[in-house]
Amino acid sequence: MQQREEKQLEASVESLISRVAHLKNSLHGFIYKLENEYDRLTWPSVLDNFALLSGQLNTINKLLKNEKTPSFRNQIIIPLLLSPERDEELARLTEQRVPVFSHEIVPDHLRTKPDPEVEEQEKQLSAEAARIGPEVAQKQIQTLNKLCSNLLEKLNNPRDDRESESAAIRQNKPSFNPADTNALVGAVGYGKGLSKCRPPGSVAPGHPGQPMMTGGPTLQQVTIGGAQGHQAGMAPVAQQQAGQPGKMPSNIKTNIKSASASMHPYNR
Amino acid sequence: MEAPPVTVMPVTGGTINMMEYLLQGSVLDQALDSLLHRLRGLCDNMEPESFADHELVYLLKGQQGNPFMLRARRSLAHPTAPWHLRYLGQPEVGDKSRHALVRNCVDVAASHSLPDFLNEMGFRMDHEFVAKGHVFRKGALKVVVSKVSRVLVPGNTDNIEPLSLSYLVELSVLAPAGQDTVSEDMRSFAEQLKPLVHLEKIDPKRV
Repeated sequence: MQQREEKQLEASVESLISRVAHLKNSLHGFIYKLENEYDRLTWPSVLDNFALLSGQLNTINKLLKNEKTPSFRNQIIIPLLLSPERDEELARLTEQRVPVFSHEIVPDHLRTKPDPEVEEQEKQLSAEAARIGPEVAQKQIQTLNKLCSNLLEKLNNPRDDRESESAAIRQNKPSFNPADTNALVGAVGYGKGLSKCRPPGSVAPGHPGQPMMTGGPTLQQVTIGGAQGHQAGMAPVAQQQAGQPGKMPSNIKTNIKSASASMHPYNR
Repeated sequence: MEAPPVTVMPVTGGTINMMEYLLQGSVLDQALDSLLHRLRGLCDNMEPESFADHELVYLLKGQQGNPFMLRARRSLAHPTAPWHLRYLGQPEVGDKSRHALVRNCVDVAASHSLPDFLNEMGFRMDHEFVAKGHVFRKGALKVVVSKVSRVLVPGNTDNIEPLSLSYLVELSVLAPAGQDTVSEDMRSFAEQLKPLVHLEKIDPKRV
């Protein structure tokens, strides 16, 4: 029984050592590449290296969690001999990293607990955690979860929206209608489709035979009369307008003057 | 307002030869947001400017020939603002080398008695409409995106009905006559609005 356990331990340690060696080799290779080939290194190959490392770390984790692996935590290492002198065998085993097994380095290398400062910080944190009640803790957990899910939603949804929107545009969904364009341009330019609203009773000027001055000069009739009185002057002006739009303002002016002179009711 | 009073210089001799270069198009209501979004990105960084205007179009008719047309505009959003009187000449379509419609244009600010004054002069209101929308600027370029509504009861701008399911989009520049290079800028700007909106020079006579 004892022997079987020992064998198992040995085997698992060996396999652990080989896995760690693999990991170390990959790290070596990666660090070498980073230091020497950084100018040629492409991002995809960096990602490949990371993937390799994470894969190897995963296998080690799996190995440690395996049922057949005895719990290394239960194994105890006792330093039997400390010596201030250089140990060549140790140096070889550790690739020259640890040349001596002295009282100076042993507490560091065989440590099973965190640093005193870290321990102190951990103690503070657990004290704080114990101080808040379970309800408050639950509440904080819920708040944090909510924040996280909201953030995730915010990050995910707009992308969907954008994608669907651009997809809709790409699908050539018409965003305009030429018939509407024509209708709008016609309406704004010439009042096409807009209800013509001449005040009732006003007659479009230019109809000959309209009774002009019957029943006293109301303002409306006077204006019509004024306009008619100037038809002779108006017509060429209107034609001129088509060819020389730039000249129009001055013509309006003269029209205004002469029209007001002849049509003003108080001048009579 | 459709345009701020542009004629800051005094009208001397009656020949201010400002031309309006114009491209027109429309966008369906459901695509309006995309268009506004794009315009906000393309145009000068300014506060989004909205407007609601009432435009009355007056005609002075002679016995023959074309009637003479003036447009009076007032802001519904700012009732105390001056009225805006605008004369637009006959649009010239021009040849292919010019990318925009060109028409003579005179803008003046006017007092609130403008409709009475026009009536006194013998002008008669021919039609009216309400335009509500947004104005964007990019340098000299002006982009107006507006909903045109007909006025159901004459003079009552609360009782209106949209003319169509689209917004009118107009890209315009005011420039002295003969500066056809501006039409080049307009064309490149219009290119950037495709395929959301196709801005074209539309001869209103053929509409």
